[in-house]
Amino acid sequence: MTSELDLDALLAHPGSGGVRVVAGSSAAPWTRVDVEESVADLSRSVASALAILTTSWPPASWQQDALIRRARDLGYRAIALPGADALRAGGRYLAERLGVVLLETDDPIRLAKACWELLEGRDALTLGYVRHVAQSIEYHATGLADLLRHLSASVGHGIALVDAERVILQAGGTLPRAVHDAIDFGPWLDTVSVEEGAASSVLVDSPSRAGLRLAFFGDGLNAAQLGALAVAAEVAMPAVAARILIDEVADVNDAAGASGLLRDFVEQRDGRDAELEQRMFDRGWRTTGFHVAFRIIGRTRVDTFQLLRFVTRELAALPGRFHVATSGRGITGWASFTSPPPPGVVEDLVASLRVVHASTRRAFNVATGVGALHSGSPGLVASIDGATDAARIAATRSSAGWFVRIDTLGLEQLLLSWTENDTFIPAAASLLGPLLDGPPDLLDTLTAYLDHESGIAATAEAMGLHRNTVSTRIARSQEILGLDLSDAEVRLAVHLACRAVRRAPDRTTTRRHRSTS
Amino acid sequence: MVRTLERHELTTLGRGYGVLGSGGGGTTTMWQLILAESPLWPLTVFGVEDLPDETPCVAVAFGGSTLLLGERIPGDAPFAPLVDAAERWTGVRARAVCALEGAGLNGLSPFSLADELAVVDADLMGRALPRLDQLTLFVDRVPGTVTICSTGADGVVVIDTARAADVEKLARSAIVQAGGMSAVLVAGFTVGDLREHAVTGGLDRAMRLGRAFEHDGAAPSLPELADALAARLLGVGRVMTVETTPDDPFASTIEIRADDGALLRVIARSETLAFMRDGQVESVTPEIIVTVDSLSRSVLQVDGFTIGRHVAILALPAPEWWTQTPERLATVSPAAYGLSGLDGPCGSDGLPGMGGTP
Repeated sequence: MTSELDLDALLAHPGSGGVRVVAGSSAAPWTRVDVEESVADLSRSVASALAILTTSWPPASWQQDALIRRARDLGYRAIALPGADALRAGGRYLAERLGVVLLETDDPIRLAKACWELLEGRDALTLGYVRHVAQSIEYHATGLADLLRHLSASVGHGIALVDAERVILQAGGTLPRAVHDAIDFGPWLDTVSVEEGAASSVLVDSPSRAGLRLAFFGDGLNAAQLGALAVAAEVAMPAVAARILIDEVADVNDAAGASGLLRDFVEQRDGRDAELEQRMFDRGWRTTGFHVAFRIIGRTRVDTFQLLRFVTRELAALPGRFHVATSGRGITGWASFTSPPPPGVVEDLVASLRVVHASTRRAFNVATGVGALHSGSPGLVASIDGATDAARIAATRSSAGWFVRIDTLGLEQLLLSWTENDTFIPAAASLLGPLLDGPPDLLDTLTAYLDHESGIAATAEAMGLHRNTVSTRIARSQEILGLDLSDAEVRLAVHLACRAVRRAPDRTTTRRHRSTS
Repeated sequence: MVRTLERHELTTLGRGYGVLGSGGGGTTTMWQLILAESPLWPLTVFGVEDLPDETPCVAVAFGGSTLLLGERIPGDAPFAPLVDAAERWTGVRARAVCALEGAGLNGLSPFSLADELAVVDADLMGRALPRLDQLTLFVDRVPGTVTICSTGADGVVVIDTARAADVEKLARSAIVQAGGMSAVLVAGFTVGDLREHAVTGGLDRAMRLGRAFEHDGAAPSLPELADALAARLLGVGRVMTVETTPDDPFASTIEIRADDGALLRVIARSETLAFMRDGQVESVTPEIIVTVDSLSRSVLQVDGFTIGRHVAILALPAPEWWTQTPERLATVSPAAYGLSGLDGPCGSDGLPGMGGTP
């Protein structure tokens, strides 16, 4: 027989009858296992062997010594028997001295079966694992994590769903980093064994998530166990892949529902709707309290669902309570507080959101806006509006790291942000073109006139001119521009254009100032 | 061979009997004090061949707790009423006396009758043994023996039976009746019987063993002491624990961590019965396992194993009488003490058990 059994593998075997080391440590693997009632039944073993005795320790310490010595003299390097409590300190010392490993087992017959599986009955070992996998699939799992917990508990080893970067989910233990790094993500099946542990993994054949592997892992697993666990992983994999798909469909449905609800809520504004409130309540969205909303939008086309999933995972690591839903070409979310948060808390929140934004940007081309702190249902809407505006601004602000907080923007800046973009300025220049070619007093007067609610007297006073001069200049301007300022739309457009054009020369200064605010 | 024992040799003889006690048999101090006052010195000791075979003989000893002898000092002639009772029962007056147990304090018991009877260098055990059914006369089923015990208040009980186990049981009752210790006498045999059915030359051996401890100048090293005693030095180390055996409250196991790192065990009841090194039996009764304090060289009783004491353990050959036939051996092997596993399979790969006995 060429197969070998080592202590680590035996300890790692889930069905070993509660075996544990009482004294000694294993140097060499065992090549044979003998099961007898007592030490007197053992015969000389030519190989380094493990003796499993079904009778517990004799009561007297000298008898225990004699048992250890006799087994060792017969060629046994390890003895397993029930009831280690009866073993005295002298016996442990002697075992260490003689190089014998003493094991305690609650159930020597199960231990013997485990040894047999590891030494000879490898198919039985594999079948045992596969049967356990089948049993765990039979039970209802509420999600992927639950399924993995079932699998781990049933098979008796840790299980992890990993990609090349990280562990996505795991149950029944923690996959050591070194083992994870050792996993080869290429082949269909892979078994690794390093100092820190061992794992058998299989590619997860999932249409939506490429590059995943399902791994059973544990400490001290030998080649036989890894081989058997690889088969178990193969059998478990389709169930896991199916679960990923099911969870994904459920997630998409859920996200769509949340998105619709958020839209309804924002559109409703101040109106009260009992049905809507109930739906929000069902989803765990509280409108009472204090809210800080944020919005993350794609600067280019992004998969909002993937974005939602990513951000949700990032937010999960943060303290506090967040709600997030997809909305338009991005996602909208908010943090809620039951009592007014002190400024420090809000600052911390914004700082955390900035970190989330930074990590999100590694995967998605996004811009983030953060709204102001408001309370109650209307406050939430207001904060979301603010976040939406801020996000829109952020989308053009590389200098701000594509992250803008509404609180740091004055109304003026907001206005400017509307007018100061690349399409508006040329349009404004073209609208006011005839005036720009002429003397500057016409443009100045027109701007002041519009600033003073189209009041001739007020404009004249502000500019230190006679009223007739003002009305003449306005009339000339209208004439040059060919526009009717009595039309509200025209008036607004001209007003904005005036602002934009007048601001345009010192635009760079303004922007630099803003980026440091 | 007739020999003369001088008063100054009493201490040597007492120490020798202490060695033969194998950790039991009691200390000889009290007898040494009593005998030192005797007016009979020097004492004459006869070999079995020096007296006519038909000489009626008795064997004497104290039975029960040897510790009690320190509290209840025996009278001038503790065995006299028993000798008289034996005469009444057997019809002959004893003319010689030997030790019932040629070890411990009982090795010196016959000398208390030296004024009246000839002391013979023979005894019925050759070492210390705990039970009366382990007498050589009983093992060989010598017919006509009677056992007489004092029962306290000047009373005696005569046990006349061919069944040794009854002697042990009835004598034990008498000892209890007498308050835990009583004088015991076996009669109904002759000096001729001793040639075949007793251990002879025990006094000689005790003298030799006792002398081995005497030295001028520096004390001999432990290996030298072992040589002088014709003993094997089994181990030297420090007492770690003393445990009572769970299924036998009278058996104790002493764990000794040897100076060379080995795990030594001494298994004892009222005597030291076995010695193991690293789980392997190296010596068992009837070998005489002697423990000495490795510093003071005093011979220890079983209760002298105190935790932390540094001791040396030696094995002296068993009296040859016990190893001559399997029946004799069975009476004094560990199994006779209820200790199973110590005299199990002998040979190359098993427990050596009796294999270690010369």
